[in-house]
Amino acid sequence: MRTKTPIGALIAAALLALAGVAQAEATLYEQIGGEPVLRKTVEEFMIIMEKDDRINFAFGNTDITKFKQLLFEQLCNITGGPCAYTGRTMKESHEKLDVDNAMFNALAEDVYLAFDRAGVPYRLQNKVMAIFAPMQRDIVK
Amino acid sequence: MSCKVTSLSAIACLSFATSALPAENAASLPPPPAPPKNFIVPDQGKLLLTAGFNEADGAGGGGLVPFALITGYGSNESYGANVHYTHAGLRDFDFKSYGVGFGLFDRVELTIARQDFEATATALDGVSVSQDIFGLKVRVLGDAVYEQDTWMPQVAVGVQFKRHRGIEDAGPLVSVEQLGADDEDGTDFYIAATKVLLDQSLLLNFQLRYTKANQLGLLGFGGDREDGYSPEVGASVGYLLTRKIAVGAEYRGKPHNLGADDESAAWDAFVAWAPTRNISVVAAYLNIGSVLAPVTSVTSDQTGIYLSLQAGF
Repeated sequence: MRTKTPIGALIAAALLALAGVAQAEATLYEQIGGEPVLRKTVEEFMIIMEKDDRINFAFGNTDITKFKQLLFEQLCNITGGPCAYTGRTMKESHEKLDVDNAMFNALAEDVYLAFDRAGVPYRLQNKVMAIFAPMQRDIVK
Repeated sequence: MSCKVTSLSAIACLSFATSALPAENAASLPPPPAPPKNFIVPDQGKLLLTAGFNEADGAGGGGLVPFALITGYGSNESYGANVHYTHAGLRDFDFKSYGVGFGLFDRVELTIARQDFEATATALDGVSVSQDIFGLKVRVLGDAVYEQDTWMPQVAVGVQFKRHRGIEDAGPLVSVEQLGADDEDGTDFYIAATKVLLDQSLLLNFQLRYTKANQLGLLGFGGDREDGYSPEVGASVGYLLTRKIAVGAEYRGKPHNLGADDESAAWDAFVAWAPTRNISVVAAYLNIGSVLAPVTSVTSDQTGIYLSLQAGF
């Protein structure tokens, strides 16, 4: 039994180390706080966006319930969460909208504010925005 | 909700049902018209902090080094403009810079700035020099913010025409040429590359400047030690602390052309704050190295607090 103790300790240490590695490699989705925080972000975004005259007109014909679900799916998916994005591509969903850079940036600003209200740290907000930013090519005409 | 078909309520009931149609139908409708585009009213379409601040020579940048970013908050379909006032109270000198900048279509930047530099101590106490700087910058490729999936930075090239306004209150000394400078006026050329690494919340900026300027040109251009252009490196690192606040440091290499000066590089450590798109403040600890030490016998670095205020759109 005595000889097994160090082995057991080694295994325990190895498991702890693995747990440490797993901890360090938590997905962005997990670091943000997962589904509840992203759902909250989406809700806050809708409130902010509806009051934002720079972009709210572009959502005039949008099915809000469906849009909220798709935005959640997209946020979940790009941050490494367990979701599939079931919406159209960014190019398809924006081709009829006359989106310019000012609108793209206004929306980005509203998403930042929504993240603030959902309690997501700015450092993590930027990590999400780093994934969103290149979509400008497909979204802006 | 059940609909009873009785008199007028049927119409209300029908219209409610229509508005609750599934998304496939809604999505096939054309989107509502966007408000008409107005090219007179500036759109202020850029993200906070991405207009940059004002570099010592007036260009959009950090405090010491131009960025590849175009000044002002106008997007690629609009324009922006700003004014700035900068003051640095150094050990034995006072530095001031003020001017105006225009950004057009997020492509072209035009700036005009005046610099005043006055000795407040040493044997030169009361002596002042001044110059005007006309700057032009053109963004040639890349986008510092959108292209987060590549290493390609935003790149701009610029030129600064500098016109000296003479030396004041120095008795017989009226021109920087009497100090050994080759010319009173000069032109700087630079290329700047700026990248925002959102994933790291970092802004990185690198600049290469071809210049003959002695102390930014305040002591003329070229000199007895060296009269040609030399390449000088500038760099800025900023950490985005919040959406409105960045902290960081900058370095600006300067040539050593004058025997009467012992010019060396300048650096700063800054805090920049943009509470809105219309105003920004930069506070920094600035060190420009010693100035005219062979003349003043003061070899200490000229250090002090740098404050810059920018207002615009």
